[in-house]
Amino acid sequence: MLIEQTDPQGQRILRQRFAGAGTECRVGRDLACDIVVDDEFSAPQHALLTLLADGRVSVRDLGTRNGTRVDGNRVPVDAGAVIEQGEIIVGRTRLHVRTLRTPLRPERMFRRDFVRRHRTVLAATGVSACIAYGGFLRWLDAPPLLLRSITTAVLLILALIALWTGLWALISKLNQGSWKVRVHATIASIGVAFCAWGYWLTGLLAFAVQRSVFVETGVAVAGAVTLAVLYMHVREATRYEPRTSLALAGTATLVISAVAWITTVGDGDGDVNRVDLGPEVRLGVQRVVPNRDIADYLAEVDKLERAAGRERQKSLLDAPRAEAMAE
Amino acid sequence: MKLARLVVAVLICGSATAVVAPAEDPRASTEVPTGSPPAQQVPDADAVDAAAVDADIANQELSGDARVRLDAARDAVVQIRGFFDKSASSAFHGSGFAVDDGRRIVTNYHVVAQAVLYPRQYRLEFLASDGRKGPVHVLAIDVRNDLAVVAAETLELQPLKLRSEIPAQGERAWSIGFPLNLGLAITEGVANGLVENSMEQRIHYTGAINGGMSGGPALDARGRVYGVNVSLVTGRQLVGFVVPAKHIPALLARASEPLDPTLSAQQLRKRVTAQVLAYEAEVLEAPSGATRTQDVRGYTLPMQISRHVECSTVDEPSPHMRVRVEAVSCWIPARISVQAGVNVAGFSMQHRILQSMGLHPLQFERQVNRLAEAPRRSGAPAYVAPFACSDALVSLDGFDARISTCLRQYRLFAGLFDFDVTVVGVDDAKQALVSRLVLQGVGFESGKRIMERYLGALQWTP
Repeated sequence: MLIEQTDPQGQRILRQRFAGAGTECRVGRDLACDIVVDDEFSAPQHALLTLLADGRVSVRDLGTRNGTRVDGNRVPVDAGAVIEQGEIIVGRTRLHVRTLRTPLRPERMFRRDFVRRHRTVLAATGVSACIAYGGFLRWLDAPPLLLRSITTAVLLILALIALWTGLWALISKLNQGSWKVRVHATIASIGVAFCAWGYWLTGLLAFAVQRSVFVETGVAVAGAVTLAVLYMHVREATRYEPRTSLALAGTATLVISAVAWITTVGDGDGDVNRVDLGPEVRLGVQRVVPNRDIADYLAEVDKLERAAGRERQKSLLDAPRAEAMAE
Repeated sequence: MKLARLVVAVLICGSATAVVAPAEDPRASTEVPTGSPPAQQVPDADAVDAAAVDADIANQELSGDARVRLDAARDAVVQIRGFFDKSASSAFHGSGFAVDDGRRIVTNYHVVAQAVLYPRQYRLEFLASDGRKGPVHVLAIDVRNDLAVVAAETLELQPLKLRSEIPAQGERAWSIGFPLNLGLAITEGVANGLVENSMEQRIHYTGAINGGMSGGPALDARGRVYGVNVSLVTGRQLVGFVVPAKHIPALLARASEPLDPTLSAQQLRKRVTAQVLAYEAEVLEAPSGATRTQDVRGYTLPMQISRHVECSTVDEPSPHMRVRVEAVSCWIPARISVQAGVNVAGFSMQHRILQSMGLHPLQFERQVNRLAEAPRRSGAPAYVAPFACSDALVSLDGFDARISTCLRQYRLFAGLFDFDVTVVGVDDAKQALVSRLVLQGVGFESGKRIMERYLGALQWTP
């Protein structure tokens, strides 16, 4: 019989093994007990656990006010309970009981984490990809002082990655005792590089097939990448369970998305002066879809007339002031 | 050019001042000669006829004093005031004058536009110089020439005589009205003939015209009305515009009956829209025979899409030192005010040819995209609905282009549309065309026809 006690945060604070049929274990505040709990809701002599000959454990409440619970059910005072395993609650103290009869899962396969194994190469690749994108953007603008402009951009990107990585490394150090700099640098830089280059390539694809819907898809992908990056950072830097980590990362992603949405909401629908252009032009790129001819396109303008009519109806319904004034 | 952008001509209706010339209208620069003084024609001394000089002097004595003009017109001129709902203080004001039998008053359409478009909300009143006041109603409107005829029950004024000839350039002229609500006033100046290069009939008056004088009479030396004060150019000196009086008789003929008071606002707006569309059919759509084009660097660019188009070619300041931009701008300098702040029947077209000077295709592409980015249009949400847009790759004559078309409707005038068409050539990595057609307040069918003509004429021969 193995008894483990955990504190309210789930941290194990006691682990004790009892062997031999008929072995008894008393639980309570009394120093004479085998397991002494520091719990004001517990009686001095609270419960008695006996290891039976068949390997099971009998649990008896010693007539306490608050009673004893096994897996959430109160143990009858006179009858007691017999269990193979389970959680016993004494006052507010939780004891996990395991016996020889508790079935065990086969051992987990040992698999080395890909990111951890290749952390040096990955971190270098990610940071390089970020730097390359920054440099590429500056080069596209063809500024008069190209070298200086690129250097500034690269230094800025390095500084940002260093700051972000440093932040997570510090959290790792505080929680787990190791810095994990390369792992965090990998997570951050690969995520950012993926979004950046993905954005550029999406533009290319959008023009090739003349669908601006890729822009929306791109936003969704960026959101997913943000979630993944935050989740991995949290998993690496803390001791939280996967579910808790996911909830934290999800909340952070939602907050970031909300802020991004609020700051761009001014450009949203209902702006009467916004003239929408489709995907950015890519010169001389082999196009995937064939071009239309003029007559075909002009037929589409008729549809546009109806669309404009709908916009008008909508705007009249949204803000009927001008019309109402007349009637 | 920059300077010209500052210049806007505004309607001179008292409180509601409206921009009638587009801010980017290069015509404004021709309207406002700066720097050089107007050329004075000095007559040869020998050629001067002594009798003519005597007659001139007599003429000047007769007409020299503005007081004579004002006294003669005082009983004909009234202030037209608009009130919101039951309010006792005026919302807008302008001027008007009696013609014909003295029972009918001519003013500007833009002075009474609010009352026409919102008949349940605004009422009109006259205020005569002798202090009489009373309600007036609108009899007829002419949106194109910015004229309206109104009448008041029982009001009979001293009518003014009309003169249908356009005054000669340099003829002395006077304008009467109620500037800035300061009371009746007269200003003296010179008529400078019809404005050139414009199919809008406007006489250029060099004299002070101010807000509130809209609808007031413009008089010649004999006290006859040669026109109606209508707008001015702000930020410049004494450039005013006057609608020729020859448009008044036709309107008076239509003004025998008052506008049906049972007409709903919607019907009135339809009537205004119909007048605008008729104007467009005449002006915007007028074909100039074969569309005149101009060849620039292998591109054939439409210029004279319709008869009244004016164009200019400039070497534009480039957004990047390794990109050369040649721009051809065409426009019809016509603006009709249907309502304070809402001008329609505008046309402008700009072709820009970009040339890469040693830029990588990807770098050049970025500059093209930057230039193609549509500038935001102007318009108040109270008057226009949002744009609906569509975008496609289209094969034009000799080249492929991405065309974006955006359309929006006017909230009050269902038959009027704003068009915004952008064409970006995508074939060449060294040279690109960015062309934009902007139509303001046109009918859908006529807008589409202009668009067809425009797209059909674009051509590239490498």
